[in-house]
Amino acid sequence: MAFLSIQNVYCGYYAGIDILQDLSLQVDQGAFIGIIGPNGAGKSTLLKTIFGFLKYREGRVLFRDRETGDLSPFEIKKLGVSYIPQGSNNFPHMTIEENLLLGAWTFRGQKERIKEGLAKVYDIFPVLYEKKKQKAEFLSGGEAKILSIAKEMMSSPVLLLVDEPSAGLAPKIVSYVYAFLRSSQEKGITILLVDQNINQAIDHSQYLYMLEMGSVALEGSAEMFRENLRDIIRDSLLGT
Amino acid sequence: MDSLLLSQYLIAGIVIGIIYALMAIGITFIYSIMKMINWSMGEFYMMGSYLQYFLVVYFLGAHLWFVGIPLSMAVVFGVGMIIQRYLLRPMFVGEMERKDEYATVITVALMVFFRNLAVVLAGPNQFAPPDYAGPTHIGPLPVSGNRFVALIGTLVILGLFYLIVKKTWVGKALRGSAQNRVGIQTAGVNVLRVDQIAFGIGVSLAAAAGALLAPIFLVWPENGAVATMKGFEIIVIGGLGSIPGSLVAGLLLGVIESLGSVLISPSFKDVYGFILVLAILTIRPTGLFGERQRVA
Repeated sequence: MAFLSIQNVYCGYYAGIDILQDLSLQVDQGAFIGIIGPNGAGKSTLLKTIFGFLKYREGRVLFRDRETGDLSPFEIKKLGVSYIPQGSNNFPHMTIEENLLLGAWTFRGQKERIKEGLAKVYDIFPVLYEKKKQKAEFLSGGEAKILSIAKEMMSSPVLLLVDEPSAGLAPKIVSYVYAFLRSSQEKGITILLVDQNINQAIDHSQYLYMLEMGSVALEGSAEMFRENLRDIIRDSLLGT
Repeated sequence: MDSLLLSQYLIAGIVIGIIYALMAIGITFIYSIMKMINWSMGEFYMMGSYLQYFLVVYFLGAHLWFVGIPLSMAVVFGVGMIIQRYLLRPMFVGEMERKDEYATVITVALMVFFRNLAVVLAGPNQFAPPDYAGPTHIGPLPVSGNRFVALIGTLVILGLFYLIVKKTWVGKALRGSAQNRVGIQTAGVNVLRVDQIAFGIGVSLAAAAGALLAPIFLVWPENGAVATMKGFEIIVIGGLGSIPGSLVAGLLLGVIESLGSVLISPSFKDVYGFILVLAILTIRPTGLFGERQRVA
């Protein structure tokens, strides 16, 4: 039984133009999986498809053996999946605390659980606790990224879909974010990371898939990718 | 000019302004969440006034008019939810790009439909519900009881609206949807449901205005047209998407119309508002509280 299984999926934004073409991959529970590939290969589209923002045309996506094709994002969230998109995920005119509370929407009736969740998130990200009464629009780029991660952690997900966490951030924040993803994985959260930064992806993932033109061009362990990195990049640049 | 008379007109302006603002808040609220303009807002105002009239005259009796208002709002809330579900929701489903012209066509069609439906069901006549209250005084100033009641009613409704939006989980989801539509979905909120509630709340505010103003501006199939026009004037003045803007602009419009009537001439009452609109568009095209939008 696979934790997340994507089988021969075809999916796109417009009818007749498939971005993902016959894409298949497996994610085991507790794993840290990296997705790499050039621009336009379908990396972000894949995450949007898993989270239900896009409906696939053919194939199957199974999460814990349940097909998710007819589910909306809010229903997939309830299954324990969180998605951290590349762009802004925050509510600029709300305070940080309100942002985090909305992250706990799926169990909004349970006061104790929300309190615990808040305490946990503030413990991991003390910078958010210091600024909890501030409006999110006044955060720096790095802090805003941390908030959008923290907000998605409020629902205690079992699977975390992360899209380009390093895009546009200072190196110090980038390593902080990766360290957080690593420690989350050690706590048992499965991570599916999409990254353009191949070196970072290889350093942190256990297993990687390289996408090209909407399907898997190459897959293997991090060691395999590290040893053959030069060849892989050359081949992908030359298109062989 | 007699200062007593002037302050009387000032108060009348404030009362009408704040009720106009109710319309404008409804339009802005729906816009900020669904990013669509509801052109049939005045017809929900009309629906509210008819419901109030028939409830008070045939079921509740004149002394229970205040029960009619929440009932009319609730019915229109339900109608709005149904219309959103079956007529407006399709524009948000299954497409990456929203079909904005679709919302315009549907709501303009609804406007025509509801006006004619009212004629078919109740005839083209004007109805006047019994007065809500007799003449009264604010301090030394005599005020029409209907207007005073409408003011208090509007303040209560705005207070409830504020509490719902600020303090409840649904309110958080409503605000979140207005601020970041992707972010609200990754939080696990059913955004289509939020749209439906927002539309219901928005049109029930229009219904409240219609029900409260029924004894003053009467009940007939096209009574919503003026209210809609005022609502949009206020939105241009206050800034689209800003609720405080709607409130301030509503008051401003009401006072200017009222003072213009008494100081210049009552026959140009509807013109003063448009002069204000033109002035605002010249000085501050985004409206008093509007934010400049960056179009990527």
